[in-house]
Amino acid sequence: MSTLNKKAMDGDGKKTSGGKDISAGGFIILFFIIGFAASMVLGWVIFPKLLYSQKQQPFSFNHALHVEEVEDGCESCHYFREDGSFSGIPKLAQCTDCHEEPMGETEDEAIFVEQYVAKEQEVPWLSYSRQPDCVFFSHSAHVIGAEMECVACHGHIGESESSRAYEYNRITGYSRDIWGKNIAGLKKNSWDRMKMDDCAQCHKEAGIIHTSSVQTERDACFVCHK
Amino acid sequence: MKVDRRSFLSFVIGGAAGTALSPLPWKLMDDSSIWSQMWPWTPVPPDGEVVYEDSTCSLCPGGCGISVRKVDNRAVKIEGKPGHPVNDGRICILGLSGLQFLYGPTRIKSPMKRIGDRGEGKWQKITWHEADAILTEKLSDIRNKGEAHTVAAIAGSDSGTVPALLQRFMTAYGSPNFIRTPSFRDADELAVKSLFGETGRTGYDVENADYVLSFGSGIADGWGSPVRMFQAASLWKEKNVTVVQVEPRLSNSAAKATHWVPINPGTEADLALGIAAVMVDRNMLDTGAVSGLRGWKSDLLDNYATQKVSQTTGVAAERIIALAKGFAGADHPLALCGRGKGSTAISLRETAAVYILNALTGNINEEGGMWALPETDYIQWPRATTDQLASAGLSQPRIDGAGSGRYIEARYLPTRLAESVNGGGPYPMQVLLVAGANPCHDLPDTKGVKAALSRIPFIVSFSSFNDETAAMADLLLPDHVYLERYADIPVEAGLTRQVIGLSKPVVSPQFNTRHLGETLITVARAMGGDIADAFPWDNYETCLEETLAEKWDTLMEAGVWVQDDVDPVADTLRLARQTTAPAIQAEGDVNSFPLLLVPYDSIQLTSGYIGEAPFMIKAVADTVIKGKDGFVEVNPQTASAAGLGEGDMAILTTPVGEARLRVHLFEGIQPGVLAMARGLGHTAYDGYLADKGVNVNELIGPVEDPSSGHDAAWGIRAMLAKA
Amino acid sequence: MKHEQKHNTPMKYGMAIDLDKCTGCGTCMTACMAENNIPFKEDESNKLLSITWMRIFKLNNGKAFPDTDICYLPRPCQHCEGHGGHSPCVSVCPATATDYSRETGIVSQIYTRCFGCRYCMGACPYHARYFNWWDPVWPDGMEKYLSPNVSPRMRGVVEKCSFCFHRYQLAKNQVYLEGEQGVTEAAYQTACTQACPAGAIVFGDLNNPEHQVHQIVKPDPKNGNKSNNPRAFRLLERLGTNTKVYYLSSREWVRRAGDNYLPHEKTGQIAKPHH
Repeated sequence: MSTLNKKAMDGDGKKTSGGKDISAGGFIILFFIIGFAASMVLGWVIFPKLLYSQKQQPFSFNHALHVEEVEDGCESCHYFREDGSFSGIPKLAQCTDCHEEPMGETEDEAIFVEQYVAKEQEVPWLSYSRQPDCVFFSHSAHVIGAEMECVACHGHIGESESSRAYEYNRITGYSRDIWGKNIAGLKKNSWDRMKMDDCAQCHKEAGIIHTSSVQTERDACFVCHK
Repeated sequence: MKVDRRSFLSFVIGGAAGTALSPLPWKLMDDSSIWSQMWPWTPVPPDGEVVYEDSTCSLCPGGCGISVRKVDNRAVKIEGKPGHPVNDGRICILGLSGLQFLYGPTRIKSPMKRIGDRGEGKWQKITWHEADAILTEKLSDIRNKGEAHTVAAIAGSDSGTVPALLQRFMTAYGSPNFIRTPSFRDADELAVKSLFGETGRTGYDVENADYVLSFGSGIADGWGSPVRMFQAASLWKEKNVTVVQVEPRLSNSAAKATHWVPINPGTEADLALGIAAVMVDRNMLDTGAVSGLRGWKSDLLDNYATQKVSQTTGVAAERIIALAKGFAGADHPLALCGRGKGSTAISLRETAAVYILNALTGNINEEGGMWALPETDYIQWPRATTDQLASAGLSQPRIDGAGSGRYIEARYLPTRLAESVNGGGPYPMQVLLVAGANPCHDLPDTKGVKAALSRIPFIVSFSSFNDETAAMADLLLPDHVYLERYADIPVEAGLTRQVIGLSKPVVSPQFNTRHLGETLITVARAMGGDIADAFPWDNYETCLEETLAEKWDTLMEAGVWVQDDVDPVADTLRLARQTTAPAIQAEGDVNSFPLLLVPYDSIQLTSGYIGEAPFMIKAVADTVIKGKDGFVEVNPQTASAAGLGEGDMAILTTPVGEARLRVHLFEGIQPGVLAMARGLGHTAYDGYLADKGVNVNELIGPVEDPSSGHDAAWGIRAMLAKA
Repeated sequence: MKHEQKHNTPMKYGMAIDLDKCTGCGTCMTACMAENNIPFKEDESNKLLSITWMRIFKLNNGKAFPDTDICYLPRPCQHCEGHGGHSPCVSVCPATATDYSRETGIVSQIYTRCFGCRYCMGACPYHARYFNWWDPVWPDGMEKYLSPNVSPRMRGVVEKCSFCFHRYQLAKNQVYLEGEQGVTEAAYQTACTQACPAGAIVFGDLNNPEHQVHQIVKPDPKNGNKSNNPRAFRLLERLGTNTKVYYLSSREWVRRAGDNYLPHEKTGQIAKPHH
């Protein structure tokens, strides 16, 4: 208190009021807090909303229902071809084995049969885990070689009863699943994120350390890139 | 509460602190860098299932088997088919570029009718129905007036069901004017007839030869079945086979040979006969495959004494003798002829001279030798019945003069077409159909050819591409590209086996094109009467399957049908029938045109119907094309005499035409001789090919072989001056 | 989890190109272009700008007619090893866009990391690296033939021959599926090797005595991998780039053309490196 009064008395002729100083100081802090809070809200809440756009899948697909019907789990529709490549999202030919005619009564199936099966059009599915073109991901190395489970990277999609919305980054065009739902890039489960760091983390935990690269003393770039 | 500068600043600082602690700037940086790593407009090819579909390449007569890699039903790469009897997994630069012909801007995407003037490039899209109607009406009108013979067809081939359908159409319609584009086949067919007395073709067991004497054959430049020849050349290297290349220029074939024998252009026949004379003189013969040697000997020895031949050819006498000894002394000697790729005929004299060399060593129908084989004859359709209109038309003389008078030995004379039409011919031409050929670029004396075509009131092109002839046409009925259609591909190309390849559609047609076979059947049926009767098939595929009969299953399963042991048509060459025609001279007088211009073939450039793909043009060196300029190869001595240095612009003049070309100094060509690549100077197609280089056919005109009328020009006299 | 790398000897993928067989046809150039999504422009006659991962050079013996002789030399990226993996280009890249793999001997180029400084182009003694001055243009539907196995480049990045390592990646896929030990010689061949109609190119593991390329080249690891085949030579061998592409020729003048020899120097004589 005394310092403030001193200040008030120091400035001869200056009409700096101590009251104002107290408020000014307070305002400084207040505006700092306002600015801080606003930018935090902007950065943590508004930014993700603006950054990501949403699209719906052509129609909702019920994984849980289908998993019940087939015998080999995920592999019944997502299988390895003879040359070792992975079939990915099934093509129309695989579904029409059963769905030539509607098998149930849902509206989604109706859309499927009328718009796609009848017109022999491939369904333009939006792939949640599509990596950028520079990435070469070998499913056979991980699923067969490392004996990993599908859920480790793809989460429990097999238990879903409907297709969630496809969220994608407006700037890069990639699926939100790559960076992860959490805008800070924090994750709880192994399937929350699919950036290169996540691949590296898993490799480290599994003790797979290669030192083939001369520049980085890690694995050679072209093992995972093209 | 006053909001002053400090508050504002603290607000900003607070904002900055908050922003820094939020993900916004870091994520934005990361996203921006990701955005810049792969811009959204760079294509990302979609992935999918990989499938290999086999077919047969028909971009040249070689007939290689191809395997097309498809990703998600998109053709992505063409590779050679492993184990195929012709090419065994390998492929050439043209075959590899096939996908650039399938996709791409030069495709004619639907039937078109010309609007505007000829050559203006204004077309109207029409339906196939309309196109058929226009053609049927035109042809019917002409026929009903008794003028069926004024319709001509130029085709790239006369073997296989599609060319056979075109020929059948012409016969049933009543025109004798089915014309096949020039190639070594013209000379070969005639030589086999003259020397062996039978209809047939030659085959060469190159893989087993142990001494090869090639008179200008482009072994590494596209002769015969190119990939097969390349593999043979490598086999020869491994087995240390002596290969002698007789050629005025150090071509790639000559560079690969054991010995290059530079020779004065156009004197190959003299050298061959000179070698034969040495062999006869020293009795280095095996007479088992010849008849009439005694009668023929003295003429040969009189006219082809070694010294005389040495003077004519420029080859040293000792060398001629050494060649004769080497050739005659080998176990499996083989002589080859047909300049460059064999896209032009050579004289009967030259062909006969080389075949006689083979016969004099007894290497006819033997391992490592030349074979006299039958032509393919699996197309056994009943004769087309010809009504009165047709008979009348067919009895007219051919527009190219082949088959009668002094041209009685020739079957086709496309190089006489321009002269005939421009001179009014025996009758004026009214319609020209062009299939698998590009006469406006590929026939010699381009100016004359274009003048002739401009006198023909109605031109129909079946080409898949916007080539020079299509640019002059009135109606375009585009055929599928080879990757989109079924067809039988009989392969001759110097093979000793009978091979029929199957061309299969690897992708569905990309545009609104139609199989030429389908078009012919449709139009024939629309014309009705005897013409329709001659085409009893419902569609082309039925025709193909029925025609191939018992071979069809093999073809569908293996993609190729092979007959290894083929009975030769004859085994004795009749020397007595050897003509004594004079040597073919180059056009032009030596005073006004002191130099000689010879064209050369390159495997990187096509000399036939298909124009080069962008990939091929990319592979071509900058001493062949630079910007839009073409080059002429000149010996440094000749160049300096004309005051020209490397890269200088020059004017090359011949009796036929004039062109601007850059000079490339090359020691691999003798002084006084100039060389130019064949296959450039396109004016149509697209920006990747058009206007690059000069078309050598603008500078060289046909020279008639007196024995047949075939164009046997090997070059022309020329003059070179600074531009 | 398997650690297949631990137990295998490192591979050294390389080539033997027989210049006696090479005809200069250009099929290898086009096979590479078709396989690797190489762009093309209307005018490709400026060879400094023309992107040709595999490029054929025409050599001549400098003699006058009629003693002239020519030879064609296909030049892919030489995948220099230098000393222990320090290729000239790898040593200078500021972005770690190019890297040497000790396991395979392949020098890789990853386009997303490259920011186009072109330092590597200056470092490469063989002019084997090319810069994308422009965005690629695939006219009118031609982008349909692009292969998904090779990433198409945007402007501003450097590219070069990769020894078709995408084929290695795909072959590994099959190795995992079938539980094999490793990628066989037949399973991984480059596009140029596969296409060459003269069979002039042989590709494989130089370290593996069963591979054809090893049998032809017979590299001597104690002598900087110089070949024991008298017909073999490497380009600019005396620079110490320790390349993996060996050329074979029975002609002395061709072998001599492989380096800048002074008139008195003997062909193939490599001075010992100074370090």
